[in-house]
Amino acid sequence: MQKETAEQEGLKRSATQWAVAWRRFRRNKAGVAGLAIVTAFVLLAIFGPFFAPYPPRSSESLFQGEAGQPPSWKHPFGTEINGIDVFSDSLWGARNDLWIGVAATAIGIAIGIGVGALAGYARGSIGAILLGIIQFFFVIPTLLLILLLSRIAQVLVLHGFGITLIILILGLFGWPGVSYVIRGEIFRVRELEFVQAEKALGASNSRILFKHIIPNVLTPVVVLASLGIAGNILTEVVIFFLGFGPPNTATWGQLIEEGVQYISIYPWVAGFPGMLTVLLVFGFNLLGDGLSDALNPRLRE
Amino acid sequence: MTSLSYILSIDNLKTYFFTEAGVVKAVDGISLKVEKGESHGLVGESGSGKSVTALSVLRIVPKPGKIVGGSIFFNGTDLMALSEKEMRRFRGKKMAIVFQDPISSLDPLYTAGRQIVEAIRANDETISKEEAQAQAIRLMEEVGIPEPDKRFYSYPHEMSGGMKQRIAIARAIAQRPELLFADEPTTNLDVTIQAQVLDLMKDLKKSFGMSLILITHDMGIIAEMTNRVTVVYAGQVSETGNTTDIFYSPLHPYTEALLKAVPRVDKRRRLESVPGNVPNLITPPSGCRFHPRCPYAIEKCKQEVPPIEDAGKGRYVACHRWRELLLVGVS
Repeated sequence: MQKETAEQEGLKRSATQWAVAWRRFRRNKAGVAGLAIVTAFVLLAIFGPFFAPYPPRSSESLFQGEAGQPPSWKHPFGTEINGIDVFSDSLWGARNDLWIGVAATAIGIAIGIGVGALAGYARGSIGAILLGIIQFFFVIPTLLLILLLSRIAQVLVLHGFGITLIILILGLFGWPGVSYVIRGEIFRVRELEFVQAEKALGASNSRILFKHIIPNVLTPVVVLASLGIAGNILTEVVIFFLGFGPPNTATWGQLIEEGVQYISIYPWVAGFPGMLTVLLVFGFNLLGDGLSDALNPRLRE
Repeated sequence: MTSLSYILSIDNLKTYFFTEAGVVKAVDGISLKVEKGESHGLVGESGSGKSVTALSVLRIVPKPGKIVGGSIFFNGTDLMALSEKEMRRFRGKKMAIVFQDPISSLDPLYTAGRQIVEAIRANDETISKEEAQAQAIRLMEEVGIPEPDKRFYSYPHEMSGGMKQRIAIARAIAQRPELLFADEPTTNLDVTIQAQVLDLMKDLKKSFGMSLILITHDMGIIAEMTNRVTVVYAGQVSETGNTTDIFYSPLHPYTEALLKAVPRVDKRRRLESVPGNVPNLITPPSGCRFHPRCPYAIEKCKQEVPPIEDAGKGRYVACHRWRELLLVGVS
């Protein structure tokens, strides 16, 4: 009991790396603004749909003669030509878009860390082969391939998959950047003196890799995750905008696609989800920049 | 050769780095004997192979470096014959190393205390964490850390350079090694802190009788800290002997040049640098490697590699002209 309190006291006294980063982050106004925007959208994605007046992709308003109406109290974001309530679909879309961004990025980062760590730690031919694979995935025109795959998937039996398919495709092609960074970081950390020092104390290779090298390369991943989510949301919007998304799915990209056709008559249909997209992506970018500054070891005091 | 009074006996060690530009012969035939309890200085310019020698003994030479020849005996055990697993038990427990840069030699993610605890338990998991923590705090006290029970929970970035180096020393001596390498341990520290850290190493050495190999380019530190010196140049031994002999009557022109480069307050004279640069170790100079920079070089020095000769009183020198030259040391 005595010992425990002493330990807690000591822990309180001493700031961890993350606490130091958080202190730095709080001083960065743009980063905090980004965090606020992202938090707001996360809450919106979780709770928003409960307050949505209409179910997703519902044409109910069409039968009430309220299609193609400008914003009003009943339809805050207006309605679309088929009677879809833009406000409701924007809320449902927030959930879908954020989920696509987060899940696809999680898959991409998991693969990226695995491949990158292996490519960085393995020397000789295995490392060279892995680097070749990373570079191959880096240079292929990802967007075209994603469009092609999602069209193929739609033609085949897979249209029931909906956004899960989009998540998988984005994730499976979204890792080369992460693995490049991880590989480079491992190269850097592996040469640091503390790795030699651990070896000189009799630590085993696996202990050094898992306890000292990998934890030390994870900080840039936090930044990459934030920027990756923004990128994946944008790509998802593009997929839907080009009409390659699974049909009947409430996303911002879908609304923008529908709205652009009548942009001069019903500008609110593409306008509101478009603004939401820009705001969320902007928020993630600010957050990413803030994190990158806060975690940059060269700026640490 | 492997007399038991020697804790370390290196014979004709060769460690090469196989780079794309060619084979860098960082250590090319270094021999070294260190007696138990001795403080041995390893002097030379940057890139002369001092550090690589230490890493070779611990067998932690980073790739693409490789030990390609020679023998290393530690207390009579042939280190080159040990498996990697057996070697691991020697590291930390029998011999340890303190590196030059205390900032990068500690892992930034763990507290100082945790890193010492890890060192204590590195070769002996039977020590409980609580016991290791108590030991770590005692060690921190030994190396002169104020309020060790609080500092135990500090991260490296919360400490000064001198403090970090003390932690690195505590970590190195955690398993009570018999031999400690100190690789330029004070080069990155303020002068005032340098003296404190050197004093600490002296005290620790005395209090548990370990042998010390001090790697430095600073002749002042050598004079202060060691009783024997080996001067290395371009991966080879120039001369070796008792510290006082080396300082008062150097036998190798390179040693003389190093001594001239030491500033003195008691004698006003021009401070001389060693002319020229450390040679390229991919294609080292023919004959004596020092001949392009040596003021006394003759034709023979370009042609023939000087053998290491016994100069009496435990001194060895590799110079064709050591008998005829009258070199100036400190006086």
